[in-house]
Amino acid sequence: MKGLAPLFLGIFGTFAFSWIGLTVIPNWQIGHLNPQSDEEGTDIYPQPQSGMFERGARVYAANGCIYCHSQQVRADYAADDIERKWGDRRSAPRDYIFDRPVFLGKMRMGQDLANIGARAPAPEESPSPAGVASPAAAPAKQATAAGSPSAAPANSPSSARSPGTAPATSAPQSSPSGSPAASTSPPPGQRTGVASPSPGQMANATPGGSSPVAPTAQTPAAPWPIQTEGLPPMYSAAWHHVHLYSPRSINLDSNMPSYRFLYQKRRITGERSSDALQLSASDAPPAGWEVVPSYDAKCLVAYLMSLNQSHPVKDVRSIGGAAAPSPSPAAPVAPAAGSPAPAK
Amino acid sequence: MNTTGIPLKEPAVSAAAGDTEHLERAYIDASTRLPVLMFYTSAVAWLILGTLLAGLVSFKLHSPDLLGNVSFLTWGRLRPAHMNVLVYGWASMAGMGTAVWLMARLCRSALRFPLLLVAGAAFWNVGVLIGVGAILLGDSTGYQWLEFPHYVAVILFISYTLMASWAVLMFRHRRGDQIYISQWYLLGAFLWFPWLYAAGQLMLFVVPVQGVLQAAVGWWYANNLLFLWFGAIALGTAYYMIPKVIGRPVYSYHLATIGFWSYALFSSWTGMTRLVGGPFPAWMVTASIAATILTMIPVATVGLNHHMTMQGYFPLLRYSPTLRFTIFGAMSYTVFSVVGVLISLRSVARYVNFTQASIAYSHLGLYAFFTMVIFGAMYYIVPRLVGREWRYASLIKLHFWASAYGIGLMTLMLLAGGFLQGADTQNPALPFSESIETVLPYLRGRSLAGILLTASHFIFAYHFALMLLGLGRTATVPTFLNPLDAEPSGGH
Repeated sequence: MKGLAPLFLGIFGTFAFSWIGLTVIPNWQIGHLNPQSDEEGTDIYPQPQSGMFERGARVYAANGCIYCHSQQVRADYAADDIERKWGDRRSAPRDYIFDRPVFLGKMRMGQDLANIGARAPAPEESPSPAGVASPAAAPAKQATAAGSPSAAPANSPSSARSPGTAPATSAPQSSPSGSPAASTSPPPGQRTGVASPSPGQMANATPGGSSPVAPTAQTPAAPWPIQTEGLPPMYSAAWHHVHLYSPRSINLDSNMPSYRFLYQKRRITGERSSDALQLSASDAPPAGWEVVPSYDAKCLVAYLMSLNQSHPVKDVRSIGGAAAPSPSPAAPVAPAAGSPAPAK
Repeated sequence: MNTTGIPLKEPAVSAAAGDTEHLERAYIDASTRLPVLMFYTSAVAWLILGTLLAGLVSFKLHSPDLLGNVSFLTWGRLRPAHMNVLVYGWASMAGMGTAVWLMARLCRSALRFPLLLVAGAAFWNVGVLIGVGAILLGDSTGYQWLEFPHYVAVILFISYTLMASWAVLMFRHRRGDQIYISQWYLLGAFLWFPWLYAAGQLMLFVVPVQGVLQAAVGWWYANNLLFLWFGAIALGTAYYMIPKVIGRPVYSYHLATIGFWSYALFSSWTGMTRLVGGPFPAWMVTASIAATILTMIPVATVGLNHHMTMQGYFPLLRYSPTLRFTIFGAMSYTVFSVVGVLISLRSVARYVNFTQASIAYSHLGLYAFFTMVIFGAMYYIVPRLVGREWRYASLIKLHFWASAYGIGLMTLMLLAGGFLQGADTQNPALPFSESIETVLPYLRGRSLAGILLTASHFIFAYHFALMLLGLGRTATVPTFLNPLDAEPSGGH
């Protein structure tokens, strides 16, 4: 080959061809999507996230969750993700329009998280310990109380932003199940617990003892992990905290790293903290001590619980659609958005 | 063939002309000494660090409580740190060092402006160091292969601009009209990298694209970094080393042309194969699968060209460390590409996407192909820079076999484990945890392979340090792998 010009042009041309073909054209095709809404302009999906969710996503990125967890439900022709109950429809580009960075993932050493928030126990499903007043949870305007002021340290400016913007995935936004959150005494274990399990639930938990709210039958049981006796309801905020702190207390065979550095072990001064973890056996702190989540841990859990693609999306077929899913325990995504969670 | 039975190059030119050429080469080599050794030394240091991180990553995956309570030693931070140290620290620096040396030789021009390169290498080291620190301290961007925060990207880009401007200047001062095959690849690599890096940074951080397209840009970037940067450097190096060591021209120039252009055209389109079934237009995946299948054209032409060049000279593999590593790398290129085609097919991707098989694929590309070729080149180049020969043939042999068995075992473990893992996840009747339990024994096997690779890298680093300290042999002939049967009478 003689002369630099043809070589240079060829090198540039092949590069430009690939760049235009694989990034510019797709950007032109799906790079400017808007949220969808119904005819009345309500029920907007998705909605931008802010505050604790945003920070939670940064914690997710910083700690490499993406190297083991994907956030996408693949189409049924390509994989068995839907049959595995990781979602009731495939993920669509519109689900991610506000995500930055987007955590589609490349690896599944852990399960898919696209709908992990949808798997949280619905409010009605947790028994409410009688007589527990939870005033702190009352201001939770959002059904997902990650934005609940009670959840965030008082000095956090970010938490103040979130109540205004309804979290996109606040599942029961259009369902009656969202309303109880506005009532004065939401039952513990419901979504108010995103960032901090509501005080009542925790206050009743004796250190190292079994939790009063561990009814195994209520949570929609995914095949895995299995609801462990003595632990908070699966996929509830309290459960996420225990899982992040000590994955092997929930599933003995799990190879998930523990994220203990996101938690603080401290001496109980006065009353036991409302958001202390319900740890069992060897993980339990010594008497007089408690383990509490840091603000980053609360944000991470708030973010995880906001992951929810159960809202129907135009042009994507959902199995079962918006109809209430069968109350069978084999339907982990049962409390789909827009559908009242089955009251069992 | 000479009397020893080793098919070495006979002097084809008259003694006087040969001497002149020899002197000229020695002069050019000497001019590259400082920058290339700087690149190589940094690269080897990064290789050792990256290997240690890799060991931790591998062991922690099946023993998750190992060193688990410190934030910067958690798996999720060590893994990107390991990846970035090896990609930007080891592979990029070793690749650039090799490319600089080759460029000077092929342009037949003493290296000008060495300070540009020295400054570039220094900046690059600083950039990688800060970037890895940032990842470990929790400042990763969350985009795979682009985890370095933006301030590091700026440093790397400045550093790279210095090096690329050097390459362009060198090219302008080249002697002779003919541009050799290796130069196509090297020039391509030198130009593709900054475009890629700039495009990736622009589309993810400066003018970020929306939603899932970030993932598409990430895949496009990572894949092209693998092919257009590392792959191009490795192929260019192989095109130089193989003919050089055996003293024979490349079999076919036309095949090489076809190979180069089809490589540039098709391999740059293969990035989207892992997106099958994901939230993307299906045509993107289909186009990438088609491109992946078409990469068989450059694989076949390059493979055929190298094979025909080597025809009759394969016994030399017993003697030349350079040739042994380079041929291993060149053959791995074929294996890497064939595996790439297999796992891109939709029916197979169903089982291997999101499994360890994709880790096997990237290690095939970055280690079995690229790193082995670069090891070969370093065995050739370093003696010419320090004026000493490698001290121990036994260490070279150990390095080669530990690397070869290590990467072979790792690939097999990850491929087999990945397929089984995928088969389990694609069986909804099994709980998800089953797939993890299935793959764990293979991950332990991978750790075993990692021990082999760690040993091989420490051996190499020790040997390299001896060379740097001037403790190599002072012989005038290269260190052959079987010195007992070889009494070399010249040739390299």
